[in-house]
Amino acid sequence: MTRLDRRAVLGATVAAVALMGGMTAAKAEYPEKPVTLVIPYKAGGSTETMARVYSKALAKELGANVVVKTRPGAGGAVGASEVAAAKADGYTLLFAASTSLMWPPLTQKVSSDLDSFIYVGQITEYQQAIVAKADAPFNTMAELIAHAKKNNLNFADQSAMSRSYINFIGGQEGVKWTGIPTKGGGEMVPFLLGGKVDFAYSGGIHQKYGDKMNVLASFQAKPLALAPDAPALGDLYGVSQLGNAVMFAPAGLPDDIAKKLHDAGKAALDDPDFTKILENIKFPKTYVSSEGLVELATENEKALKAMLEATK
Amino acid sequence: MVEILPMMAEGFQNAFGWANMGFICVGVTLGIIFGVLPGLGSVTALAVLVPITFYFEPLFAIAFLVGINKGGTSGGAIPAILINAPGTPEAAATALDGYPLTKKGKPEKAMKTALYSSVCGDTFSDLVLICLAAPIAAIALRFGPVEFVTIILFSFTMIAALAGKSLVKGIMAAALGLFLSMIGLDPVDSTERMTFGTLELFEGISVLPFAIGTLALGSVISQLFDMREKPQEDLGEKIKSVTNYKDDNRLGFFEFWGTWKTILRSAFIGTGIGMLPGLGVTLAAFLGYGSAKKASKNGDKFGTGEVEGIQATEAANSAVVGSNLIPTIALGIPGNVAAAVLIGAFIIHGVVPGPLMIAEHGVLVYSIFASMLMANVAHLIIGRLGINIWAQFVRIPKAVVMPIVILLCIIGVFIPTNSMFEVALLMIFAIVGYLMRKSGFSIVCLVIGFLLGENFEIYLRQAILMNNGNLGVLFTSPIAVFFMAMTVYFTWHFGFKKKKPKNTTDSQKSASAK
Repeated sequence: MTRLDRRAVLGATVAAVALMGGMTAAKAEYPEKPVTLVIPYKAGGSTETMARVYSKALAKELGANVVVKTRPGAGGAVGASEVAAAKADGYTLLFAASTSLMWPPLTQKVSSDLDSFIYVGQITEYQQAIVAKADAPFNTMAELIAHAKKNNLNFADQSAMSRSYINFIGGQEGVKWTGIPTKGGGEMVPFLLGGKVDFAYSGGIHQKYGDKMNVLASFQAKPLALAPDAPALGDLYGVSQLGNAVMFAPAGLPDDIAKKLHDAGKAALDDPDFTKILENIKFPKTYVSSEGLVELATENEKALKAMLEATK
Repeated sequence: MVEILPMMAEGFQNAFGWANMGFICVGVTLGIIFGVLPGLGSVTALAVLVPITFYFEPLFAIAFLVGINKGGTSGGAIPAILINAPGTPEAAATALDGYPLTKKGKPEKAMKTALYSSVCGDTFSDLVLICLAAPIAAIALRFGPVEFVTIILFSFTMIAALAGKSLVKGIMAAALGLFLSMIGLDPVDSTERMTFGTLELFEGISVLPFAIGTLALGSVISQLFDMREKPQEDLGEKIKSVTNYKDDNRLGFFEFWGTWKTILRSAFIGTGIGMLPGLGVTLAAFLGYGSAKKASKNGDKFGTGEVEGIQATEAANSAVVGSNLIPTIALGIPGNVAAAVLIGAFIIHGVVPGPLMIAEHGVLVYSIFASMLMANVAHLIIGRLGINIWAQFVRIPKAVVMPIVILLCIIGVFIPTNSMFEVALLMIFAIVGYLMRKSGFSIVCLVIGFLLGENFEIYLRQAILMNNGNLGVLFTSPIAVFFMAMTVYFTWHFGFKKKKPKNTTDSQKSASAK
């Protein structure tokens, strides 16, 4: 830095400080300090890994440091509550699956719900599906139902929510099957491949198994990008699980900051490092703006409530 | 088979580069440091350092992380030996014989034993991974909830070996641990159990504040109080006054290898536990120690500073490190939390662990295997150099070391979750640990009860659900029947065979009934 530059910077700083004295802090150019991105899950998972690389891209776009902070607990509710309670100044953001914010308020006493947040944008979609072993006696959803009418089937679920969905479908079709709770994909896979369960809910791990696992149905509103031939629960039964990773901010964020975040968040998606990691973990890049998300979430919450009523 | 050899040759060639060696050495060193710091272990080290590796080449990144994992697993033994404050739960049983050796003025001997046993166990496990990954993974798939329930049931008999002076108190401590593991949402119905509406308790009490609180911080507090009562007993002073320190701390070839059976047994146990997803390093350590105590003719002396006790624990816990990559590489399933973080790292480098990995990235897989073997050599050398440094810490007065350790415990619990709630739990469990120590209850048994309790519940409930409420299934699988038989045999051995008061046998029965 030359002497002239230094003096200019010094002058600008002095001017900025003087100006700020007369203005409210919110009007100062955002962001002027590091932004914290809270991940409400344990370190090492795919969402956390993705968020770490995304945070670097976001930092470039915003022109400020983005610090990733893991805050696991209660299926995401602990981190979500913390962000909901934070100041709505754009310096505390949440990166999570939108269901982590939707499901806990419906079934448990937690201090935040969807209204505590605004959407910044959807980053990607999880590839949730109903899967079976490749050599199972059924290859499609219809064959599974037919098989279940004659046999007692077990399925591996990964949360109360996924179990509710599958039991709801059972109720619609008039079949009864037993949900076996598992602690996530890592436990589901050996159960399914080892023949301990007949079919399973998968959050996306089935993609690692090539032709050893068969996608019977997409758990989402539409068929999965990577298994387009399997029907979607949304089309078959009118219920589906919103499976997307979304960046949230606490409700009450000033409009200019929201716009800046929105633009930076969208632009960050095109970062080459981030694109590469999404390719590696086989997640599609599916950007949805905040307006689109409000619509999706309202619809999904309605369906969730109806489903909870039906399975009670 | 034919095409594997050139792949293997190319892989090994890639791994034997100076750059790769450098990454391995840095990884091992960082791992040992993280392991030594109480509260931080290999899992925290991996989670914190994975994002950095995104900018490395895939092989370097994975070799670096593998080095961390190896160093971290053995580093935990050092604070266990030197200040009776295990840095990680898997080193809990190391303290039982390691700390008494330090008190006798032989800290270096204890550390050498721990290091060499770790490297032996680790190498054994790596060789099993390299030679037998695919066939063994097929066996691992045969294990389901039914088999796991019986393995855990069998592990509960280890309470008898680890309880110390009073078996009754050991069982009570384990029962308290079981009780604590029940806190949180019910795994099947999601109803709240003893959470009092606290969101942070929905997923149960976290292992980190529990283990660090009871094992490390509780021990530190207990020692601080002891210093107040009898200030003359400072180990540093005592060790300085030992005249034949050098001779006392020599570890003879026959002294170490004379008990090769113990090392091999523990390596076997660790490898077996490691290849089964979901069981964990700590269980392997306890099983290694317990079975050595049963099999060895020195078994009765365990807990007084036996080299064999350290060997049994350290060989077993380090043997998990290699074999937990068997399900990772062959099936894409993490063998434990550390392997889960490693899977995350594999994936960000475009290598998807699972059945397709060897076909798609054969050369890289063999480079990783070669790096693992190189990491063992690096581990041996760096670890051995480290001992000279760690030994100096014993000479620093406890009044200086202990407050630093307290601070490190707090930082270690705070970092992964950024939660003051966890720090509060740490404090509570430190007090619990202190009180239990002072009243002669075994902390190790408390930790066993807690760590195994959660898995025991979920596997039992899964087994029952899968079989429509029929418990008879526990006797239909040959693997399950084998472990049930072992449970009965061990209960009989520990309970009836010993010349102990009869109340021991009664309480032993209730332990296995859990």
